[in-house]
Amino acid sequence: MPNFTLNINNKDYSVEAESDMPLLWVLRDILDLTGTKYGCGVASCGACTVIMDGNAVFSCQRPVGACVNKKIITIEGLSEDGNHPVQKAWQKARVPQCGYCQPGQMMRAAAMLGKNKKPTDETISSEMSNHLCRCGTYHRIKEAIHIAIEEINK
Amino acid sequence: MVPGLQSLALPAIDCEFFQPSAYLKIDKKGKVTIYVGKQESGQGVDTALPMIVAEELEIDFKDVHTEIAPYGTLKEGEHDTGGSQSVMTMYTQLRNAGAIAKSMLITAAANVWKINASSCAADNGEVVNTNSNKRIKYGALVCQAALLPIPKEVTLKNPKDFKLIGKSTSRSNLNELLTGKTKYGIDIKVEGMVYAVAERCPVLDGVLVSVDDTAAKKVPGVIKVVSYKGTGAPMHVRAGVAVIATNIWSAMKAKKMLNITWDEGKKNKETTESLFKTFEERSRLKPQLEVFKKGDATKFSAKNEISASYSEPFLAHATMEPVNFIASVKGDSCELWGGLQLPDWAVNTVSKECGFKKENIKVNLALMGGAFGRRLHFEFAIEAVRIAQQTDKPVKLIWERTDDIRFQPYRPATYHVLKAGIDDNNNLAAWQHHVLGTPVAYMTDGPGAKDAAEMDGADAGFCYDVPNINTGYTGVDFNINRGWLRSVDICVNSFPVESFIDEVALKLKKDPLQFRLSMLENKPDFKTGDAPGAAIQSPARVAGVLKLAAEKIGWTEKRKPNHFIGLATHSFIFAKSYAAHAIEIELLGPKKFRITRVVAAIDCGLVINPDGMLNQMEGGFAFALTQTLKGEITVSDSRVVEDGFFSYELLRYDEMPPIEIYMVENKEEPGGVGEVGLPTVAPALCNALAAAGYRPRSLPIRKEGFTWV
Repeated sequence: MPNFTLNINNKDYSVEAESDMPLLWVLRDILDLTGTKYGCGVASCGACTVIMDGNAVFSCQRPVGACVNKKIITIEGLSEDGNHPVQKAWQKARVPQCGYCQPGQMMRAAAMLGKNKKPTDETISSEMSNHLCRCGTYHRIKEAIHIAIEEINK
Repeated sequence: MVPGLQSLALPAIDCEFFQPSAYLKIDKKGKVTIYVGKQESGQGVDTALPMIVAEELEIDFKDVHTEIAPYGTLKEGEHDTGGSQSVMTMYTQLRNAGAIAKSMLITAAANVWKINASSCAADNGEVVNTNSNKRIKYGALVCQAALLPIPKEVTLKNPKDFKLIGKSTSRSNLNELLTGKTKYGIDIKVEGMVYAVAERCPVLDGVLVSVDDTAAKKVPGVIKVVSYKGTGAPMHVRAGVAVIATNIWSAMKAKKMLNITWDEGKKNKETTESLFKTFEERSRLKPQLEVFKKGDATKFSAKNEISASYSEPFLAHATMEPVNFIASVKGDSCELWGGLQLPDWAVNTVSKECGFKKENIKVNLALMGGAFGRRLHFEFAIEAVRIAQQTDKPVKLIWERTDDIRFQPYRPATYHVLKAGIDDNNNLAAWQHHVLGTPVAYMTDGPGAKDAAEMDGADAGFCYDVPNINTGYTGVDFNINRGWLRSVDICVNSFPVESFIDEVALKLKKDPLQFRLSMLENKPDFKTGDAPGAAIQSPARVAGVLKLAAEKIGWTEKRKPNHFIGLATHSFIFAKSYAAHAIEIELLGPKKFRITRVVAAIDCGLVINPDGMLNQMEGGFAFALTQTLKGEITVSDSRVVEDGFFSYELLRYDEMPPIEIYMVENKEEPGGVGEVGLPTVAPALCNALAAAGYRPRSLPIRKEGFTWV
């Protein structure tokens, strides 16, 4: 089986996997980084979102073979102890219900704010509409994103 | 605190912890663990229930550690989670649990100080000697307390002294949720575990004829391909072929290469179109079951009669965490890992279907990434055990999203015929409601089940004071599985009831708010049956939430051009809660609208965690808006057509309007809040559209040509 070196959360990991295995399953089942969630496998829900070279990507759509020489950040590496402005904002707005989709939602928001500290409501809306939350926490996600924007522009 | 007091004061008794009940444990270091007996799936029981214990125990909530109560540590039925019952049913019991522990800690301290317990008080994790103001931490008292008899009676706090109950509190595991550390069922790993996915017979109750797995077995990582039989009631497991592999990706790839022949049976040509035709035809006859009768609406000679019919589709739960379950079989025993809302029933059924003695089944309950009733059903647990019986390793079975949408226990489809008889004074004097549905009970108990009527909200609990009422139910069988979905038949029946009340008001040229209030206000509470546990219905509280919602949206105020408001109210009767919605829309063109304001009003008695209640009302609105606008499962050739989120669409971020929530404050006992936020969303929105000139009579409204921005 082929071997790949992946840079995840600023650490190099050596993994053995079929080259077409999506990054999602490498993270979850081989590296036990289960904060990244399986939701649909077909880029329709956003639960598996990670940050790759600064962009939010669906890890279910990235074969591991296409992930070498990339800088990958997962929810486990978003901050040292949950203090990324997005996580703090999510905490303040008490966003989660079941919480299953929230790592993906936060990774999307963090990537968006990493590129643009003052996104317009249209940008926020089009970015966050890549994600589903069946508990319906959209109202609070919106609130949290605005809290995070305020924080990073202080 | 006097330095060295603990070691001076306490005799040398050693122990590890003090656990006066299954609900809490305090160890020697003072760590307080509260065990959550209800299954968490996002509804916040992991916070609201421990808050109740902590209130009586007098402990700061930030010092409380919460854990799932291990299966089997509670009485039979107590792990069961559903029907918005958790807080309601556990409130007094959990207060007692906290108060008993507190009382024993106080007695232990009083013994240490050789004073009367009445001279001691509990405060913030310590017992205080009220004479000397000396304090001992709970942790230092546990070994003494553990030796004391458990008191039979304890005094509960006066609710006016509550410090924690009624204060918005963050979820007990919020930090884990936000850092990816939370382990849901799908994240659990068991030593030596392998993975499985399954292909299931596309038609319910079909059987496997043959499988060619030659290509599938060649996929690297595949261990074996196994088949298993389906079951009938209660869970209707479909016959399946499972691929077991060292990793889930190999299993998923191999599944696509299976070449399977099924015997679909004779009921393989049904369609939702034909089902609604059957409903329509059957609705012309008398209901199969008379459910509630007061006076006789069928014999009332009305000055004029108004009638309308409404329909609602099958729906899927579509939890974000796809269904999954782990089973390990060793000889005559098995061990299970996963989320179950009704674990006792699951154990009994697994025992029966898979041939294990109940005492040989070990269950490890897991956190659920959403449930909404999906895990009241547990066909996946039976599947996992049947697959695990064919390998010597623990197996994690994952349902792919396509499986989840195609093979659900679906919320039943219904058709409603309503008739209103108007008397000479232009009042509503007769009400008939015939519900035709595909009952869940036909699935769980078999066709022809006697208690099949799904009439909550349209039965004896119908809350409008109309002198003549006849409501009835007709069950129609249909070959897809059905199950309970959040808000169940109260939600299903609120749409036609609250739409039709509105239709009648408009026909009679009466104000829809005043028309409702005239049949609710000043009406006494009533019992819905003779049974000792029969629910109490309060028309006054139904009116109360309606008035609050109407006031907050400005019902009587002048509206902007092309803006229209719809109202709806209800009693979520079996959870002792009431809610109303007032929704304002702006009409942008023919059947095209934007939701401009959403106001919800709730009366759920005493609220344990206000923020949790708000979250449920906000999320409940989103859940209900999905099914009002676009949620629909269709069936062709007895197969569900939708197969994922592209075809079974859910509400997205850009479709969520702002929502305001108001609460009726009172001193009533706590009611449930998980489901009460849904039933009035569809009728309130549809009543707003009707005010604008378009009356939707079937959900989702997209089907009737409505569009929204």
